[in-house]
Amino acid sequence: MLLVLGRRLANVIPTLLAVVALVFLLFSVLPGSFISGMNEDGRGAIDPAVMERMRKEMGLDDPLPERFAKYVISIAQGDLGRSFRTREPVTRLIGVRVWPSLKLVFAAMSFAILVGVTLGFVAALRPGSLVDTISMVFAISGLSLSQFWFGLMLMYLFALQLQWLPSFGYGDGGIRHLILPAIALGVGPMALLARTTRAAVLDVLNADFVRTARSKGMSERRVVSWHVLRNALVLVVTIVGLQFGSLMGAAVVVEKLFAWPGVGSLLVDSVFQRDMPAVQGCILMIVLFFLAINTLVDIAYVAIDPRIRYRR
Amino acid sequence: MRKLMWLAVSAAAMLAAAAASAQTTPRKGGTIRMTAPYAASFGSLDPHATPRAQDDIVNKAMHRTLYNWDTAQNKLVLELAKSVSVSGDGLVYTYKLRDDAYFHNGRKMTADDLIWSYTRIMDGSKGFPGARYIRLIKGAIDVEKGQAKEISGLRKIDDNTLEITITDRVEPGYYLFSGTTAILPKEEASKPDFASHPVGLGPFKFKEHIPGSRVVMERFDKFYKPGKPYADTLQVLIMAEAAARDVAFRNKEIDTSILGPAQYVAYRADPQLSKGILEVAEMFTRSLQFNPAFKPFADKRVRQAVNYAIDSDLIIKRLVKDKAYRAVSWLPPSSAAFDKTMKPYAHDPEKAKKLLAEAGYPNGFEFELTTSQNESWGLPIVEAIMPMLAKVGIKVKPKLVEATVLTEILMKGEHQSLISSSLTGPDSLATLRAFYSKTPRTAGNYTSFNNPQFDKLLDDAAQEGNADKRNDLLKKANNLLYDEAPVWFFNYNKAVLAHQPWIHGLQANPTEITHQYPEDIWVDDKSPAK
Amino acid sequence: MRMPRLRLKGGTSLWIGGTLVAVAIAVAVAAPLIARTDPVMDANLMNAEIPPGLEFPFGTDAQGRDIYSRIVYGARISLTVGIVSQILNSLIGVTLGLTAGYWGGWWDDVVTGLTNLMLAIPSLIFALAIMAILGPGLSSLLAALGLTAWSYSCRIARAQVLSLKSQGYIQAARILGYGDLRIMFTQVLPNILGPLIVIATLGMGGAILSEAALSFLGLGIRPPFPSWGSMLSEARDQITTAPWLSVFPGLAIFFTVLGLNLLGDGLRDILDPQSTTRRT
Repeated sequence: MLLVLGRRLANVIPTLLAVVALVFLLFSVLPGSFISGMNEDGRGAIDPAVMERMRKEMGLDDPLPERFAKYVISIAQGDLGRSFRTREPVTRLIGVRVWPSLKLVFAAMSFAILVGVTLGFVAALRPGSLVDTISMVFAISGLSLSQFWFGLMLMYLFALQLQWLPSFGYGDGGIRHLILPAIALGVGPMALLARTTRAAVLDVLNADFVRTARSKGMSERRVVSWHVLRNALVLVVTIVGLQFGSLMGAAVVVEKLFAWPGVGSLLVDSVFQRDMPAVQGCILMIVLFFLAINTLVDIAYVAIDPRIRYRR
Repeated sequence: MRKLMWLAVSAAAMLAAAAASAQTTPRKGGTIRMTAPYAASFGSLDPHATPRAQDDIVNKAMHRTLYNWDTAQNKLVLELAKSVSVSGDGLVYTYKLRDDAYFHNGRKMTADDLIWSYTRIMDGSKGFPGARYIRLIKGAIDVEKGQAKEISGLRKIDDNTLEITITDRVEPGYYLFSGTTAILPKEEASKPDFASHPVGLGPFKFKEHIPGSRVVMERFDKFYKPGKPYADTLQVLIMAEAAARDVAFRNKEIDTSILGPAQYVAYRADPQLSKGILEVAEMFTRSLQFNPAFKPFADKRVRQAVNYAIDSDLIIKRLVKDKAYRAVSWLPPSSAAFDKTMKPYAHDPEKAKKLLAEAGYPNGFEFELTTSQNESWGLPIVEAIMPMLAKVGIKVKPKLVEATVLTEILMKGEHQSLISSSLTGPDSLATLRAFYSKTPRTAGNYTSFNNPQFDKLLDDAAQEGNADKRNDLLKKANNLLYDEAPVWFFNYNKAVLAHQPWIHGLQANPTEITHQYPEDIWVDDKSPAK
Repeated sequence: MRMPRLRLKGGTSLWIGGTLVAVAIAVAVAAPLIARTDPVMDANLMNAEIPPGLEFPFGTDAQGRDIYSRIVYGARISLTVGIVSQILNSLIGVTLGLTAGYWGGWWDDVVTGLTNLMLAIPSLIFALAIMAILGPGLSSLLAALGLTAWSYSCRIARAQVLSLKSQGYIQAARILGYGDLRIMFTQVLPNILGPLIVIATLGMGGAILSEAALSFLGLGIRPPFPSWGSMLSEARDQITTAPWLSVFPGLAIFFTVLGLNLLGDGLRDILDPQSTTRRT
């Protein structure tokens, strides 16, 4: 277990460094700046003297290598800089967004796993049947929906027409406000999970050892519950991990639509207002989350299937 | 005809305002749920740090400035002072400050707080956007440059009397009503976490901020207007997505919403929703700015031709759904310097063709038009003018950029033309300075306008002490702009705020409709919010 | 017992998907022939927002343009976005994957590192950054979607090379005097063509959806040419007043992406029967 963790970390650190460098470079060539963007609502230009002062205060005129060096040094000390907009430390800015983001991602993934894995299993146990076809059409449709469109539809149906749920926002942080955005975000991973689960279960059902077990006279129920579940689980965990990890980043659209106060909506807002320290911080957060989940998945492998340790 | 329309519109607005205050005795208590529609978050809750309209929605509730805009009287009024006397040369203002204004931490406001706040804004090591306004005060610029510690034009006579000396003969109210010049308590504002625990003079005090979601404030009992504010709680909910805001409003989750053209039509057509529409001619002019560095646009006839070639009325009626007023020249009709006898450019493609031929472009030309995605003054408008200009031989190549980048492009001046929205009030003189030849491009003369006659008119207006005579000069300047056509005069914004039947006392603020003075707002007991 | 029925199912999705995609491609190719008006210049504000009817089968948009014609021309843009971005992704992925697996050493480390990097940054965010840098427009969009999703094809190409290496094929080819490039392209590439086509087909659907998402975020295609994503995104405010503005582009996206996904699934059963479970 420790070995896995150590190997992962050895991979994670260079990746993180590369992300920092890449994001920094990408966003340093972005047209427009926070300061000129302050006039986007047409309320009159900021006066040139103040603009120059702000540029200086934010270090926008320093040479790129110098800015990068400063940035890397401060990151190493756990400091992500100060947001241009709020003049707050970015760590605090992001800190308050992480919990809503995590809630949304966990809720979406729970929905995806619950519905997706069930659909996949049901479909795989009777391949070719009507149930199978319907489940898979459902799943593939989920993959073919434009996320913001689907979210808007959910809003209209469940908030406006049926009046079951609030349409937007964070509310008091309770579950009622969470349901619609979680479904809108979870439908993609749900579809993928349904397909993968079906394929995985079918694979295992046709695998030699299952046939052997069957021929040994093991009851179908035991075959399914013991061998199939366990082996298919490895695969499902991989997909869950990959999807899970990228979900925080994928949530930008849903968060924007539902005015959900997560890292994704902060990221989009910061990109449009050119609040670079906040942009860099958000992306770093999203990448960290991805890497952390993947490390967990690696550990989960070992726990589910000890053979993996030898294979690697 | 136009005048009639104007009358009808203002009558409608008045009716709406009257309906909003139909129930005469305001109820105490309840929750107001306003929306912040312009971005997915607030910038700063430190009012000095941010010039954005979005942030001012909250700051109007928590903070106060020396002057305010009185929507009912449509003029500037003293807010933190009870009276003011002006010296004969019009440069020294002596304010009798309120003796009943308290900060949320319980301390009474004195002249020192104004001095401290204005000095903080001029801190040369910080980029506080309000510096452009405070610079009006004599000696402020020395503080900005680090040559002085104190602003020489600010003199405390006693705790409740402040003397301000200004550098130009202008109305200081236009400068000192901006949210970026709010008066803050030194002992709180100098704390590093002031922006997350803001303290001010406003009717509501800070309770909670969930970044990206909402700001919640509660009634401040020691507010200086007796009996106000009415509501116990004020929530400002962030909702940048218009389609989602529409659902939330119909679902009664919010009390106010800002409408775009599409929803304006729908709400007007709906028997219920149409009762809760508040409209105002905002002081924003939407225009296509020509860059004379691009050769065809150096010729006045070409610029006029564009104005003649576009059927602006049709665009406003069909595409903008009447959610705008046709622009005549640069200043909006609410300005005292607006000439009510002027007619906007007619839609006359033949005349446009003739002008183009005279200017040496009988077969037209091609130009690049930089635009943002804004639904009221961006891409949809560009898409609508393309076929119209094509009919007189002008080919438009649209170039889409983010709104953030527009100002930077204007400042660099490498564009050929650009469509944007500009604040054109309430200070008409300052507004027209955008065409003064000595105003550098970076400070707002985006059309590199240079006309000696115009400069003379502005110089004279700045020297003129008499308000009527000054307005006459500005009127002439504005009419000169009409003829010179440095821009395609498109429209003045009509801001539309939808509100629920249970909310009362909303103001049709022409400087920005989302900027409500919330002490006047109250909700009756039909509100679903507790 | 079960296998034949499975085949049949793979077959149906192949056929349905194939048909849907073929229709979309045919529409795109024949756009000038079947469109009724010019999608950009034939705007008439007097005809704005007419509901679907005899005169305008899909209705008109806020500018008074024929939505049917815009959908037809939009097929060109949306499919271009899908196809070109996936070709770019495949080219990058295969080139990096093949060379990394073949040469190994430091180059392999670099490519593996890059792949991990690409996987770690969600592609939508990467695309968002590229769009913000290059500004909205078709070529930016192709770059944004074509440079950011090559990690899968890269991994597959690399794995295939490694497996052939371990089986001694490459050594053998070398002994026969084949050059590096020749081995890569004649021995290795054909072996991975199947999975690559599957990935690219599924990726096309993803790219079309990403285009819509970027449009929603305000960083889509350059106007005034119609893409389905930008049409859908523009129409969202009018969903109560003029639902047809969003219904038709929404359906166009849904059926095309559905078609691509079904086709991808179907192709996988034929071209890549082993690896159904290997890929995400």
